Amino acid sequence: MRRPAYHRESQTLGATMTPMIDVIFQLLIFFVCTASFQAAEEVLPTNLSLPGSIDSAVPIDPDLKDLDEIVVKILREEGGVRWEINGRRCTRLAEVRAVLAGVAQVKIDLPVILDVDGGVPLENVIDVYDVCRQLGLERIQFAASLSS
Amino acid sequence: MRTPQTRSRASVGFNMTPMIDVVFLLIIFFLVSSHLAQQETQLELDLPDAASGERPIDDDIRRVVVNVLPDDGPAPRIQVGSRLVPPEDLDRLIGFESQQTDGKIEVRIRADRHVPYRVVEPIMIACARAGVWKVTFAVVAGG
Repeated sequence: MRRPAYHRESQTLGATMTPMIDVIFQLLIFFVCTASFQAAEEVLPTNLSLPGSIDSAVPIDPDLKDLDEIVVKILREEGGVRWEINGRRCTRLAEVRAVLAGVAQVKIDLPVILDVDGGVPLENVIDVYDVCRQLGLERIQFAASLSS
Repeated sequence: MRTPQTRSRASVGFNMTPMIDVVFLLIIFFLVSSHLAQQETQLELDLPDAASGERPIDDDIRRVVVNVLPDDGPAPRIQVGSRLVPPEDLDRLIGFESQQTDGKIEVRIRADRHVPYRVVEPIMIACARAGVWKVTFAVVAGG
């Protein structure tokens, strides 16, 4: 007796699909479980120096005498923060970037001192720190006094 | 009547498929569980963004992770390991860790992005007092 053709065909199709679905399902579970939905954590290295530990005399080019260090003050004000770079006021981070970029072109190894107001959120401190590092200003210090 | 040779050969043959299935499942299980175990060691915090962050290096240096949790109250909480540390105890704690390793430790500050700087500053001062110069901030890529 001859079996109907359609029956045999459908049976073979079912037999080959099952392991493939198994494998695909397992792969799916594997990737769903291992996918990290959190952004990868990175680190920003710092090199702490406090007043008294950076007393070593560094010879300064007379032309750049007024640029022996850059003091960036980050101050808290209503509704946000503002910045002061060696007394020059900035209201946006883009301005800070522009000023620091100009400084970095003149002298890349200038120390940048961050003088941060206590109420400033860390996010804003890291923003300025990040800008300095992106511009190549690697000597970043935090202003602090040992008496505090 | 003689049975065909092929059938006896088939019964002796070892079926590898279920074994491969099980081994595959075990591999997936261990991969996934080790991955999750690694993730769960870190406290979940809303870290600040930075574009110039570096991948943390897995070196042998001893690392003290100081977590700063956000808090609506007057004092955000500082957590080292699994216990909360009052800010005045930080000097002693970091000083002790530094003494144990002769100053060769790294202090990683994992602080929430909204934490005010006045909370983070004492941690850095405690590090400087203890002679620890390798301080890093945990950030997330972006910015």
